[in-house]
Amino acid sequence: MPSQAASSLSDLRVLDISDGVAGAWCTKLFADYGAGVIVLEPPAGHPLRRHGPFPGDAPDPETGALWLYLGTNKRSVTLDAGTTTGQNLFRRMVEEANVIVESFAPGRMAELGLGFPALRAIKRRIVLVSITPFGQTGPRAGWRATNLTSFASGGQMSLTGEPDREPLVNGGYQAEYQAGLQAFAAAATAAFNADALEVPQHVDIAAQECMASALELYLPWWAYLKRDISRRRGNVLSAMVGLFPAADGHIGLHIMPRNWPWFARAIGRPDLIDDPRFKDNFSRLQNNDELEAIVYGWAGSQDAKELYRTAGAARAPVAFVHSIGDLLESEQLQARQYFREVEHPAAGTLTYPGPPFRMSEVEWKEGRAPLCGEHNEALYCDEMGLSRGDLARLRAAGVI
Amino acid sequence: MFRLPLHGIRVLDLTMAWAGPYATRLLADMGAEVIKIEAADNWDLLRAFTGQPPSVERVWDKSPYFNHVNRNKYGCALDLSKTRGRDLFLRLAAMSDVVIENFRAEVMENLGLTFDVLRAANDQLIVISMPGHGQSGPERDFVAYGTNAEQLSGLCSLTGYAGGPPQKTGISYGDPVAGIAAAGAIALALWERRRSGRGQYVEVAQREILTNLIGEHVLAYAMTGRQPDRRGNRHSSMSPHGCYPCSGDDRWLTIACETDAQFAALCQVIGQPELAGQERFADVVARYRHQDDLDAVIAAWTGAQDRDGAADALQTAGVPAAPVLSVPDVLADEHLRARGFFELVSHPVAGVWEMEGPHWRMSESPGHVRLPAPAFAEHNDYVFRELLGLSADEVAALEAEGVTGRVLNPAAHE
Repeated sequence: MPSQAASSLSDLRVLDISDGVAGAWCTKLFADYGAGVIVLEPPAGHPLRRHGPFPGDAPDPETGALWLYLGTNKRSVTLDAGTTTGQNLFRRMVEEANVIVESFAPGRMAELGLGFPALRAIKRRIVLVSITPFGQTGPRAGWRATNLTSFASGGQMSLTGEPDREPLVNGGYQAEYQAGLQAFAAAATAAFNADALEVPQHVDIAAQECMASALELYLPWWAYLKRDISRRRGNVLSAMVGLFPAADGHIGLHIMPRNWPWFARAIGRPDLIDDPRFKDNFSRLQNNDELEAIVYGWAGSQDAKELYRTAGAARAPVAFVHSIGDLLESEQLQARQYFREVEHPAAGTLTYPGPPFRMSEVEWKEGRAPLCGEHNEALYCDEMGLSRGDLARLRAAGVI
Repeated sequence: MFRLPLHGIRVLDLTMAWAGPYATRLLADMGAEVIKIEAADNWDLLRAFTGQPPSVERVWDKSPYFNHVNRNKYGCALDLSKTRGRDLFLRLAAMSDVVIENFRAEVMENLGLTFDVLRAANDQLIVISMPGHGQSGPERDFVAYGTNAEQLSGLCSLTGYAGGPPQKTGISYGDPVAGIAAAGAIALALWERRRSGRGQYVEVAQREILTNLIGEHVLAYAMTGRQPDRRGNRHSSMSPHGCYPCSGDDRWLTIACETDAQFAALCQVIGQPELAGQERFADVVARYRHQDDLDAVIAAWTGAQDRDGAADALQTAGVPAAPVLSVPDVLADEHLRARGFFELVSHPVAGVWEMEGPHWRMSESPGHVRLPAPAFAEHNDYVFRELLGLSADEVAALEAEGVTGRVLNPAAHE
């Protein structure tokens, strides 16, 4: 896979005027699958360009890891949306767009004369996607947020971390990535619908709601049973589900009832399968402390990587905690050619994650992030018909 | 108002547990006709997470976890491992748009339902698989759930308190992430199908999509060759950036200052405006270097504060801050309620309660909880009589053969 010459999504066109991880990740997904994505950067450069690390520890707006990753396959033009001239240029681009992605504070697009009614008047089938921490309406719509505070608002942070410590944010920018992934899927759905039925759409994505929709069984149990089992439980939920220290790392277990015999055999304890203390799920929970002691004792002597191979072959859901280095050495990921080497004129050749999913008829493209304003001439002159002189005038006015 | 975006799209849903059903919930919320297919001996594990004694009548139809994840879907019982069940499934596939499954890689092969077989039944069909490791590679048949996907993705290695072990995210994080990606991939495939007239095969490897959510760390490693230290709630450049205790039991407030101005505002709110002028906190670098001192000052203030009042005061001053909402806090949250996020659902067996509504807010075709989650085999008649056109006698014969049924076998998940 892909088995044959792939068609592309090149007639799906996306304008990205967002400023954070969520919007950039949303539009990266479109760009990597072949949609035409134009990222509109402020003349000083996209805010994500400021984040390191940088190759050789030398800060450079073209070589920050976050930008290099999230900018792939996009075309970059500079545009100051705060100026009337910039807004006029933006309106012309809207005519050619299917999807617009923005992440301003609610109301700001309308202040710029670019609210949903105005955009719909320009392009009948437009999909405007607004990604914000709290959504376009409600008493907290104007609240400021970062990934940390956003993760806290969605409920997932209250479940993460040790019971005797403060709640913990997970690694990277997961509140933003969740919102961005939801925004991508919602935008693609709305774009499909707009294409088929000529229905425009303003899609309001609130990071808080995205996370609140993914509270596993905890929210459902509270909502229906009024039973709150949502305390933080650290790494060990039970003897059967959790992270346990091994001799040289950490292993993860997720043993559902049907996996129990396979697991017992995989750890060399087939005698436990029919042990009355552990014979069914109810018994295992009743005698969890005893089973946990067995698991801790067993795990502590295990070579995590070796165990992963043998337990996997024995059908037991056992994994080990992969470091970033372990990912790059993974035989599985190598066999699937997941990682890709991508060359960039300023950053050189680096290892990038590959396709997040694989489609037989839509090609996933390796590509690089654009330099700031790299496509100003191509877009403004070649496609929109401005002259080189016009470009100089826009530059002098600080619009691009 | 317009009809829902995926109105008229029929989805045959073979997924179970959380990842796949989360994907099809997104589709169902947007108006797709999702038909969940279970069997008496192979029903969705989430039905077993009941939180109620096994003696409760039809307890498997009262699992809140199942009922939240599967709302807006139809359900039928059809045993694909039986020849007649497989034949009927292929007839359904011929009149559907999407088939989605999240079995281990080999299961669809063993059922004789590979993409080639399904495509022969319907060349416009979009088939999507969501295996843990993908359909190829030496680990493809390893069993992996959502927590395992997080361990395999690299994310766990980044999460944790300073100096401590890797930590898991509180939820089975790999599941919803894979589910969202699957829903997005289906939308792209539908777009492509409008142009080509053909369906396609899509594969979401759960561990791979999750690594994409820490992609910048892969590049950072390529640049530095270093695994980053775990640092709790701290950030590489912002400080303060933490989670602070408030008055009361297990009540916490997160605060993050992006700029000097926000820090100055924070100092005003906590009644110590002079702090912003002190050398140790005067600028971004100084604050980063003196985070321990800074966190102690802030925690001393928050410790005496009401959590929500402190958040309001900081936000009013323009400082990013938010309470760590517990699950009960989320359900009671006045902001979410003002947005109408929670909706009443009425389920014929489980009763009436509130659940979270669709979170893709579409202005012209807002989604709602239109339909409660299916009781086991609830829509057998719709599927067998209406869609497949079988007679009552034929359905009775299928029941007698065990191809379909009305009651599940509780022993399947003990």
